[in-house]
Amino acid sequence: MGLSLACLVALFLLLPIVIVVPMSFSTAISFEFPPPGYSLGYYAKFFTSEEWLEPTLNSLVIALGATALTMLLVVPAAFGYVRYRFRGKALVNLLMMAPLIVPHVVSALAYYGFLGRARLTGTHLGVIVAHGVLAVPVAFLVISATLKGFDRNLERAAMSSGAGPLRTFFHVTLPVLRPGMLVGALFAFLSSFNEAVVVIFIGGRGAATLPKKMYESIRLESDPVIAVVSTLLVSAVVLGVLVSAFLRPRGANAA
Amino acid sequence: MAGGLSPAAALPTEVRTRAARSRSPAVWLLLGPPSLVLTLLFMLPIGLVLVTSITDPRMSLAHYQRIFTVPLYTHVMLNTFVTSLVVTALCLVLGYPVAYVMARRSDWVSTLLLTIVAMSFWTGFLVRTYAWLVILGSKGPVTGAYQALGLGPAPQLLFTSFASTLGMTHILLPYMILALFAVMKKIEPDQLKAAASLGARPRAAFAAVFLPLSLPGVVNGSLLVFVSCLGFFVTPILLGTPRDMMISQLINQQIEELLAWGFASAVAVILLIATGLILVVYNRFAGLDRLWG
Repeated sequence: MGLSLACLVALFLLLPIVIVVPMSFSTAISFEFPPPGYSLGYYAKFFTSEEWLEPTLNSLVIALGATALTMLLVVPAAFGYVRYRFRGKALVNLLMMAPLIVPHVVSALAYYGFLGRARLTGTHLGVIVAHGVLAVPVAFLVISATLKGFDRNLERAAMSSGAGPLRTFFHVTLPVLRPGMLVGALFAFLSSFNEAVVVIFIGGRGAATLPKKMYESIRLESDPVIAVVSTLLVSAVVLGVLVSAFLRPRGANAA
Repeated sequence: MAGGLSPAAALPTEVRTRAARSRSPAVWLLLGPPSLVLTLLFMLPIGLVLVTSITDPRMSLAHYQRIFTVPLYTHVMLNTFVTSLVVTALCLVLGYPVAYVMARRSDWVSTLLLTIVAMSFWTGFLVRTYAWLVILGSKGPVTGAYQALGLGPAPQLLFTSFASTLGMTHILLPYMILALFAVMKKIEPDQLKAAASLGARPRAAFAAVFLPLSLPGVVNGSLLVFVSCLGFFVTPILLGTPRDMMISQLINQQIEELLAWGFASAVAVILLIATGLILVVYNRFAGLDRLWG
């Protein structure tokens, strides 16, 4: 009985995600299911309209910028946090986790006020700063966990064989930690790419990302192109999940 | 999440003495700049919300007084709380069997379920909210089925608290399942076998052994879902109704329509305090690190 229940719930999770695929090939001018006919019309519209391509580009640029900022903050912080004991360690941990603890709508309001004063709302820089900071906790968790699992005897072996600290870092420490760092960076990227609350407040016209554009498109015009975007995003997720399943056949930690 | 090559417990004591060099300037070089950036670019903006809530338009606690005395706003607070409870309960009831099957089996079924959960987890909120807009819409499959079966006009599904509760449950369910699964997969099958060999029927073994051992996962998942739900933004606005607002809808409305910065900030502060209180209580009993880890 447990199994059939589990399968029903899995269908409940899956079906709404699947339904966007036929919708994207629809000929209907509004949200109609099942579609009255099929065509590639909305794909053509997506790939030719500035209105959708610009947010797509914005999403990628902002997520890349945010990832860079997050890593710049998190990598040194994680090294300091994991490898040293010092007073106020709990406080540093709380500071690093704060953007995860504070509800996003509160952060959104905070950045709207703060970046507004700095005249940075509606700019790429503003959204990159906000997203870069908001992704700190998830990257910090991944990277400090990687660091905790790092065997420092490897470094000692390198040093005692005559390698200097820098050489040791670049030839021993970094290569061993690279997978963990990459996972941290990937999580930061996805955190920015999927973020839909802060950017709705601060993105304005100039730095609207895909989630903001989708939100506005649903609220204001019910543009069926959103089905195309959704299908492309779902395809990317499916690809990502399958690739990660292939890379780690025993991987129980898909998320 | 990340594979540890050697368990920390096996580290020689020498490492601990090395780690104890607390006066080293390196630690300040490593932690100083990131801490400063987070303070200036996160704590400061949040602090400004606090300040705005008691100074805009003038210095007073009037906004807070209004939130707790005007029925419209107390209704929003209560509605947010109740909706979050309902969503949490639904996620628990729906998520538990999935996590159970995922943890107890180690065949393709388990892999398939995990793949579906991961897919759902990584699909953005807006894609899933849009899907519910289609499913529950006036030209959607539910209405279509209603008419095909000759049941007369379908009830209004979209833009109701039913739709927003359903949407939020769908979006937060993967979080619940993964939190449950993380705890359940650590339960040793041998413990259940021991119960069975001592004569416990499967159901009794589940109730006496598995269920209690899975409780930390239940607490973690419920906390995660409840707290996320309190501040949920996109889905209630797109699927719900302004008549049964949640806190984030109220914040949005006050800013978007009324530019009432002071009042919106006060509402945000209350949401922040409520979230903080819940996490403090959790920290007392379980330790926050367990939640992220």
